[in-house]
Amino acid sequence: MRLTVNAEEHELTLAGHETLLTVLRERLQVTGAKHGCGRGECGACTVLLDGRLAYSCLTLAAGCEGRQISTVEGLGKAGALHPLQQAFIEQDALQCGFCTPGQLMAAAALLDEISDPTLEQIRAAMSGNLCRCGTYPKIVRAVQAAAAALRVRTDGIDAA
Amino acid sequence: MPRKRTDAASRGASGAPHRRFVTTTVEVEGRAETRIVEMPDLDPAPWGDDAHLDVVGQRVARMDALEKVTGRARYTADLHLPAMLHAAFVRAPIPSGRLTSLDLAPALALPGVRGVLVAEDVPGVTHMGAPLFDDTIHWAGQPLAALCADTPELARFACSLVRLVVDPAPHAVTTNAALAPDAPLVRPIGNVPKNQPFERTRGDTDAALATAEVVITREYRTPCALHTALEPHGSAAEWMGDHLTVWESTQGIFQVRKDIARAFRLPLNRVRVMKDYMGGGFGAKNFAAANTFTAVALARKLGRPVRCILDRVGEQTDTGNRAASVQRVTLGSRRDGTLVAIQADVTVAYGYSGWFASPAKIYHELYQCPNVRTREQFVYLNTGAMDSFRAPGHAEGAFGLECAMDSLARELGIDPLELRRRNYAERDQDKDRPYSAKHLSRCYDEGAERFGWTHRRVDAAASRTHGGRLRRGVGMASQIWGAGGGPPAYATVRLNPDGTVDVLTGAQDLGTGSRTVFAQIAAECLGARLADVRTVLGDTERTPYAANSWGSITTVSVGPAVRVAALHVRERVLEAACEMLGVEPSRLSLRDSVVRIMGDERTMTLAQIGRKLGDVMIIGQGSRGPNPQNTAICAFAAQFAEVEVNVETGHVRVVHITSAHDSGRIINPTLAESQLEGGIIQGLGYALFEERTLDAALGVSLNPNMHDYKIPTMADIPSIDAFFVESSDVLANHTGARGIAEAPIIPTAPAIANAVADALGVEVGEIPLTPWRLLASLRG
Repeated sequence: MRLTVNAEEHELTLAGHETLLTVLRERLQVTGAKHGCGRGECGACTVLLDGRLAYSCLTLAAGCEGRQISTVEGLGKAGALHPLQQAFIEQDALQCGFCTPGQLMAAAALLDEISDPTLEQIRAAMSGNLCRCGTYPKIVRAVQAAAAALRVRTDGIDAA
Repeated sequence: MPRKRTDAASRGASGAPHRRFVTTTVEVEGRAETRIVEMPDLDPAPWGDDAHLDVVGQRVARMDALEKVTGRARYTADLHLPAMLHAAFVRAPIPSGRLTSLDLAPALALPGVRGVLVAEDVPGVTHMGAPLFDDTIHWAGQPLAALCADTPELARFACSLVRLVVDPAPHAVTTNAALAPDAPLVRPIGNVPKNQPFERTRGDTDAALATAEVVITREYRTPCALHTALEPHGSAAEWMGDHLTVWESTQGIFQVRKDIARAFRLPLNRVRVMKDYMGGGFGAKNFAAANTFTAVALARKLGRPVRCILDRVGEQTDTGNRAASVQRVTLGSRRDGTLVAIQADVTVAYGYSGWFASPAKIYHELYQCPNVRTREQFVYLNTGAMDSFRAPGHAEGAFGLECAMDSLARELGIDPLELRRRNYAERDQDKDRPYSAKHLSRCYDEGAERFGWTHRRVDAAASRTHGGRLRRGVGMASQIWGAGGGPPAYATVRLNPDGTVDVLTGAQDLGTGSRTVFAQIAAECLGARLADVRTVLGDTERTPYAANSWGSITTVSVGPAVRVAALHVRERVLEAACEMLGVEPSRLSLRDSVVRIMGDERTMTLAQIGRKLGDVMIIGQGSRGPNPQNTAICAFAAQFAEVEVNVETGHVRVVHITSAHDSGRIINPTLAESQLEGGIIQGLGYALFEERTLDAALGVSLNPNMHDYKIPTMADIPSIDAFFVESSDVLANHTGARGIAEAPIIPTAPAIANAVADALGVEVGEIPLTPWRLLASLRG
């Protein structure tokens, strides 16, 4: 079967029970999404499937053919960071960094849906992504800052 | 300029012979150890409050943030070594008994299963106080064997096919069960350690209580809490000839190296332990454990690299915990609130083995009081080991002591904050010695001011007169934690030919910001641009020794060593510049990577100097000198909480927390504040949600996962105002800094519980404050 990860196609032979997280991490060695619990409890494995949030540890890879799989590696890279990544750095919205890829993808899904989320909307959208270091206050600020930056960018394009 | 140390051992005692090694006392995680340490060859003047610093104290961004936000930071489980195999554990399904049969055939028959590890493969290797893969079962979740396969999933699946036959024996998983007259023996020596209960006394508590004007007695209970780092414990091991490399998610690479070398009888220089990034430790990742030994032994046995990452169930049952405690507390005071006696009887549900963390210790430390007696009884249980967990002992003890202080305040009709001020300790009470510095009174003043202690108390009281279902309350608590760090710790700083600078030290960055903080100190001392400085950590073969990152010691232990190393480089760079520019060293200055000459237009950058030197590498070595003796070096804090309690549902919402901290000089306020917030949020989980629940009949955990073991989520977080009352501590060490990490978690649970008691008018003596527990309190 074919999987499209961060706009790159991969040809794979998979067993039906293999999760998307396993395939990403162990087969394709795309290790940004993390294995924290394997049961959809912690959110460290969060990726986007056709732009929508998904726990890759609870998603069977076999069902992902023909869909756009986005991980943190596709969000942005050094020199061309996504506004969320930039904001996470500026607001110090990470400590150990293990949950960070999942937090970023959850935030990306949120901002895609709601460009100007309220505090309550951020909390509701992201309470499935656990952080044991306790960076939540800074994550909230980073999401708000990134939302503002993205709106400026979009408004700028609209004005032009 | 720093002076060369000529009378190192005697700091100014003229005529004293030079001694390179001196005996000194170092306190780590609340324990004092005597060590012989080498004196640094430089003794720079401490950075006082008036020191002019360019980089230290700046809010620069975390230096490894880019790797982390792009998913490129490589954690142990992200490693893919050629031909690597994966290991998983077969674990004991019962808390006590014998493994009578282990039928591996169905697992080994699976294609892709490559091998097994059992007790005979690892003679003499221990895990959590028992032989690894012991056939005597001491706790549910104990590893009994490991299987190795081509993928992690296959290894786990293979484990599920193993046919176990166990012969259950009676178990004791609660202190009541273990202390009963006919209790089954958890250990051959009995269910309590030798020489316990451990009693510690100063003054005469009985006499003081007999004549005290007011006496209160209360009982407090704290739960068994689990570290629950997002990243499980894990290791990867690879042998090349007789040389072993281990990648480990650890707080202490040198500790793990020592543990591996001892377990497998290897020379230290044949064991390389590496840790680049790790996903949280909080005290659970200080030593090599089953995952480490299994990866090493299987890699040797099978001749291929092996990765062994715990699954979540293993993580929540077999990696240590903060043990549950019962604290019976008696306080005696005068009518004016002056404490005359503190007494606490503490029982700790220790588990099968582990780290003795003392809840009683803080009773001896926090307040001025001439008469203190504590008795501590640890109890062996058929449960997983106790381990150090962020402020081990103190977080538990603070809950009892600080809730009791509020009970006393109510009894006396004194403002809880005022009661604490009236019992302010000007000296270390436990060891009767001065503090290096203490600004807890400023924490009280500024914390109360920023929180609005006076008006919030009045407003909360007013809100309760309406009699609605939502009741507001405010509470506070205080804390103390030994935070001086100390030797040994070493750093190397080197200048590359392009003017960039490397800082090398064997410390760890757990997400605390050590990488950034060390780079800031090096940039400051050397006079280099921060952007040109990079910190390299986490490799026993390539970086000099630093201790485990625990006990709030890393910045204060390693920071001074980095400073000395950078000063050596600066001195040599300037000497080289003298040679190149033909001027006297006294005319040169170095800042922002540029050497300037007084009264001369010419300049040279570090890059120009480096290029001119070519492959000559300027290297500076630094080490950490001893702490001032007979001096207590502590972090202090006062925390204030407002809560809203729904008296119909029992739900507690924390509305706001203000936390004022005294940790000396702050090297990077942004990162330090992040750490404060993190500690407070963990403390909030301890107060409201977190509790390992065991089935008393079966002796197994009912919540070994992250759904039923609740840690705080973003939806649970109050507004938090965490800040420092900053003042350089020039006696502590020459950077003026003290530790930070544990201080914020200690006062959170009592501050919240005291706020809940204020809201309800009913004392709450047990955490976590779950809805059912609160409703039970309300029913009386």
